[in-house]
Amino acid sequence: MNIRLAKPEDLPSIQATNLQNLPENYLMKFWMYHILSWPQISFVAEDHKGRIVGYVLAKIDNGEYDEPKDSEKTEIHGHVNSISVLRSYRRLGLARKLMILSQEAMSTIYKASFVSLHVRKSNKPAIALYRDSLGFRVAKVEQKYYGDGEDALSMRLDLVI
Amino acid sequence: MEVRRDISVSSANVYVEGVDLVRKGVQLDLSSHICWHVYGLIHKGEKNYKEALKCYTQALRYDKENLNILRDAAQLQTQLRIYDGLVETRHTLLKIRPAMRQHWMALAVAYHLNGNLTEAKKVLELYEATLKNVPDYDVEHSETMLYHVRLLEDLGEFTEALAMLDVNAKSRAIVDRTSIMEIRARLLSKLGSDEAEHAWRVLVEHNPECYEYYQGYFSNLGLTLDATNPTAPQALAVLQEFSTQIPRATAPRRLALTIASGEQFRDLVTPYILSGLKKGVPSLFSDIKGLYQDPAKQQIIEEAALDAQTQFSAAEPSSSAAAAEVEPTSYLWTLYFLAQHHSYLKRHTQALEILDKALAHTPTLPELHMFKGRVLKRAGDLFGGARCLEDARFLDGQDRFLNTKSAKYRLRAGMVEEASTLLGLFTKKDAATPGADLEDMQSLLYLVEEADAHNRNGHFGPALKKYMAVNKVFDDFEDDQYDFHGYSIRKFTVNIYLNLLTWEDRVRSHPAYVKSALAASRIFVAVHDDPSIATAATATAQLTDAQKKAKKKAKKAAQKIQEDAKKAAAAQTNNNDDKGLELTPKDDDPDGTKLLQCTDPLERAANLLKPLATLADTNIEVWIATYDVAVRRKKYLQASKALARVAAIDAEHPELHIRRVEFRQRVSGLAEPPQVVSPILTESIAKLLPDEVSVETFNSQYLQRHSTSGPAILAVAKVLVKLQTPREQVEETLFTALEGTASLDIKTALAIVAFLHTIQSPREVEFRTRCGEKFELSTVFKSAEELAELRQLALTAPHALPDKAEDIP
Repeated sequence: MNIRLAKPEDLPSIQATNLQNLPENYLMKFWMYHILSWPQISFVAEDHKGRIVGYVLAKIDNGEYDEPKDSEKTEIHGHVNSISVLRSYRRLGLARKLMILSQEAMSTIYKASFVSLHVRKSNKPAIALYRDSLGFRVAKVEQKYYGDGEDALSMRLDLVI
Repeated sequence: MEVRRDISVSSANVYVEGVDLVRKGVQLDLSSHICWHVYGLIHKGEKNYKEALKCYTQALRYDKENLNILRDAAQLQTQLRIYDGLVETRHTLLKIRPAMRQHWMALAVAYHLNGNLTEAKKVLELYEATLKNVPDYDVEHSETMLYHVRLLEDLGEFTEALAMLDVNAKSRAIVDRTSIMEIRARLLSKLGSDEAEHAWRVLVEHNPECYEYYQGYFSNLGLTLDATNPTAPQALAVLQEFSTQIPRATAPRRLALTIASGEQFRDLVTPYILSGLKKGVPSLFSDIKGLYQDPAKQQIIEEAALDAQTQFSAAEPSSSAAAAEVEPTSYLWTLYFLAQHHSYLKRHTQALEILDKALAHTPTLPELHMFKGRVLKRAGDLFGGARCLEDARFLDGQDRFLNTKSAKYRLRAGMVEEASTLLGLFTKKDAATPGADLEDMQSLLYLVEEADAHNRNGHFGPALKKYMAVNKVFDDFEDDQYDFHGYSIRKFTVNIYLNLLTWEDRVRSHPAYVKSALAASRIFVAVHDDPSIATAATATAQLTDAQKKAKKKAKKAAQKIQEDAKKAAAAQTNNNDDKGLELTPKDDDPDGTKLLQCTDPLERAANLLKPLATLADTNIEVWIATYDVAVRRKKYLQASKALARVAAIDAEHPELHIRRVEFRQRVSGLAEPPQVVSPILTESIAKLLPDEVSVETFNSQYLQRHSTSGPAILAVAKVLVKLQTPREQVEETLFTALEGTASLDIKTALAIVAFLHTIQSPREVEFRTRCGEKFELSTVFKSAEELAELRQLALTAPHALPDKAEDIP
């Protein structure tokens, strides 16, 4: 599998992969906005025919618009909006490789001090990846975060600059 | 500014009133820049960019230096790709406000888009000279410098580009390390520098899974990833060195398989396969099937997989010593791999035998059911395929991937309502229908699959509706770029923005668009030829009893889900007071009936096909469809050109054969002979089918050349019908497609069945029966009664399966 930076021409395939895999979906403009705003931190995995089989889409939060009370939030940090790998391309470690590339770019280019993400409480394989393999920890539980009422774990990983 | 307020409070009715007011305002005072501006805003809101720009141009006549109007005009010019006008507008803006940094960048980009890179570079240099005290780690400045380097590279000034890159990398003005490394390696290669090799190596070490880096490294050394190239041993050595150096990287090991051959290939592929099977990598087969082009490699892979099977099955019985070393799942994944192997080589029965063995071993692995479904689908058993996918989905109801696949297989089998029920498990509960939500979310997969299903079922209204929805998604994709013409320049992220525009210019080359445009155009042509199709569609009575029942049932289930959801949603949105702002009009043509009855089907078809003339110009179907539309619009020159394009790609294409004849017949039947219309036309027709050759001879000669090709036989039969040949003879010809020597696939066989049906042949059933025997696993040729039964079977819930699938390996 080839792993590389996401390009504008990947957008329809990223959107399709998301729709096929996850219940949280977004319009094209959302995907477009992210890779146009932070063009260095989203990555894709493609098969030998150039078909996208996985992606990570991320953004940078300057913390400017967050609640001022939460001092941690005012730090510049990365946030993973959406990551998924097609079921038929699992067990290749693609998600991990995608995450590591994104984290590195967040840290070196934007000086992000940490990266955050949300994950469904029931998604054990994903939680295992973030916690055991990548070193994330649970920052807090967000009640009823998802449309269907499921809780989200808000996870964080401090980035070493 | 009364008018403006009118619009801003626009709920549907007020909106219409507002638009009226503005129009009146413009009429009353043609020299008011405010009226023109607002009128332009309205057009822009309606995505009518051309008209909007006209209004802005008018407004600017009366207020030449209005920044807002100029900025909007620039965005419209970019959207419309009027780049010379854009340069002018950006120039004006810079002149008015040179202190605004973004105006410099905007002008450089305008020059760039207009093809004048030298001017773009000059503007950028002037801009950089104005900069003082750039803060450290400024991403905007970093992007600007990267853009400058890109301009130099595009201008062929590699030395200057490299110097600029190095200086700015060192001073940390450019903070994007990966970009620095990539551009550096590329420039050093272009300059033929000794340092290039090292630069590429650094990239490989940075991301050892990126193929481009290996390609860069190789081409810099004059090596390729081609096994037949004499440099192959050298390339292989390099890859093996990388493998040793970066053991966690999979790319060099996989690339080595492409280059290696013979015993060396065996030595490399065996551990590659074993490791994949032990890990249970589901994509192992699809990863290496590219190697099957080489029959020797195919053989070696089969042997390796069979060896693995022996090895793992020996460990199978629960002898504890062996089990400690080999997971029982390895054996299972080996069977899975072998089934894919046989299926790829069209050994359907063998593949199914292996899958049944695997399923007997472990019935809870969804992949096995999924693949069994795929084998059945390929072999022509669509209902069987749908059933298997449902078995797979049943094992993990939370997995949307399995849900999507199962719904897709139902659509392939024509079960539209039943697919919708499944899709509804993951779509928004407050959406009108699951399909409406998927359409809102721009799911091209869903739209195309459901359209195709309707189309195959003969429901042309709903099919057309969905194909046009695909077109609408692409309209939206094009509209989506609008805001970025301003945003990206303000953010200085122009490199990716320029790439976005390049992609947008080609966005309709996407397979979903091409497929939908072609299919919709065929329906438009069909309804032009036979308007009764459109009137027949109004009577939804076409549904069979079983279909009606299914529809009712699905509707009920969907309704219940929606009602529950609406209650929940109502509870949530009660405290939300800006309701009533929704401008989404109610769809007054949900089944596409009106669309089908439109008065201008050919013009609509032509519009859909238009972008494909440049974006998909090597696609034979595009030119065939273009011809079909043009000839009916009496645009004979365009029609002949389209056929000439087909002939240039494949002169013997069966669809072209039919149209060579049809075109001559149509033109010779004209009241006004073509000589009068155009000598070029006469000439091009003669080229397609020489005057001195009779159609009969032409047709029989074509058959002689392609007597064993299914599609060619069908084409010849179609021409025979045009020549009013007795039906028996046409049937005789068609039945030769069943002979042992002929190549006939399921798709063509079905097309022949459909054609026999149109000519009301009494031998249709006979043809079906013989196809059923020829494609032994298929069910698509069965009678309507048998199919109804199979359909029922495909929907029965899976049985004898555990309800929890936690022991899935």
